[in-house]
Amino acid sequence: MLKPHLTRDAAEQYILGALAPEKAASLEAHTLECEPCARLLQEEALLSEQLHEVASTVPRDAHVLRPARWDTRRMGLGTAGAALATAASLAFVLLSGERPPPASSPLPLEMAPPTVALEKLEMEVAEPRAVVVACPDLATQASCTQAAEERGLLVQYPWGTGEVPRYEARTGLPEGALSARRPVSL
Amino acid sequence: MSAAVQGLRMTTLRLSKEADEPAEATAPGGDEALLARRALAGDRAAWDALVARHHRRVVVSLLARGVRVDRAQELAQETWARLIQQQQRGLLTELRLPNLALTQAAFLAADDARRARRESVASAVDELPERHHPVDPAVSAERRLLSEEQLSRAHAALAQISPSARNVFLLACDGQELPHAEVASRVGLSVQRVRQILCEVRKKLRTALEEETHA
Repeated sequence: MLKPHLTRDAAEQYILGALAPEKAASLEAHTLECEPCARLLQEEALLSEQLHEVASTVPRDAHVLRPARWDTRRMGLGTAGAALATAASLAFVLLSGERPPPASSPLPLEMAPPTVALEKLEMEVAEPRAVVVACPDLATQASCTQAAEERGLLVQYPWGTGEVPRYEARTGLPEGALSARRPVSL
Repeated sequence: MSAAVQGLRMTTLRLSKEADEPAEATAPGGDEALLARRALAGDRAAWDALVARHHRRVVVSLLARGVRVDRAQELAQETWARLIQQQQRGLLTELRLPNLALTQAAFLAADDARRARRESVASAVDELPERHHPVDPAVSAERRLLSEEQLSRAHAALAQISPSARNVFLLACDGQELPHAEVASRVGLSVQRVRQILCEVRKKLRTALEEETHA
């Protein structure tokens, strides 16, 4: 008497090697007598071979194993880094005064990671301590000195060796050269 | 010939022990490249481990070619015997499994079909071997290759399943022939759950491949 026909699930389990040895032997014996079941088994085997082909053509980067929260953590780090870089660039602009950065060394804040930006920020914060200010005259010396010391700046007194800057300094251009009314030969 | 018989006996012995000692064949330390080097040097234990790992794949590939299951088992045994014989003669310089075994098995299946056809050339039509071989292995070789469109459909279906299920599928089917127990230990799931996931992925990919076929 012929045994019951194969189900697709049973054939699938056989192909996957998940059947118990007795059931596998019974299935094999049945397929030798029943051509439709042999064809069903062949279909499952063919599908298995095709799946190997599919798996072998999947791009390799899909194999990378990542923790489930890896992307979240990376996004958080990126956001924190961007915020730090923004804060660093803002602080740099506010604290560096009116001195433009040297043309040969562009600011690394746009390009470098946040840790590097923080180091640069500390360097730029410390730099104003080397700035020397000169109080223009004796009348405002007291307030000028106090304000400069509060900002941590060095003060050059009017009677010191440094020259007191003059607001009416000459530009070196002929008189009327900056006027837009008429051309002036230099 | 004696070498082949010796190899065949060894392989048969190992397969009979497989059910009792699955841990030996699936040991994480059994690196494929190391096993291949040892097998090329004539290490019987390495051959046993490689046969235990890849034998089922060879049988399934023969079944996919339309070979009857009993003949598929015999041809798979003969495949390993031929490979071991080649190694013992010093003719095997490289051992890339399962591809080498699959190629050897396909050659044996085609040769078997040709011989059967030649022997039955004077018989009645009802007794032709095609009656017992639903698909001629030689003919089905080209038919088995998936088209580009089928592959893209399968990839699209694969992209829609969860990353963990996709990972299980790739670990089980990417050619390393990892046992399900090894896959389960790598992904932290039970063997039963791994097999359940594989069945689900098979259903999705079967649907994707059949859609293309019917279109």
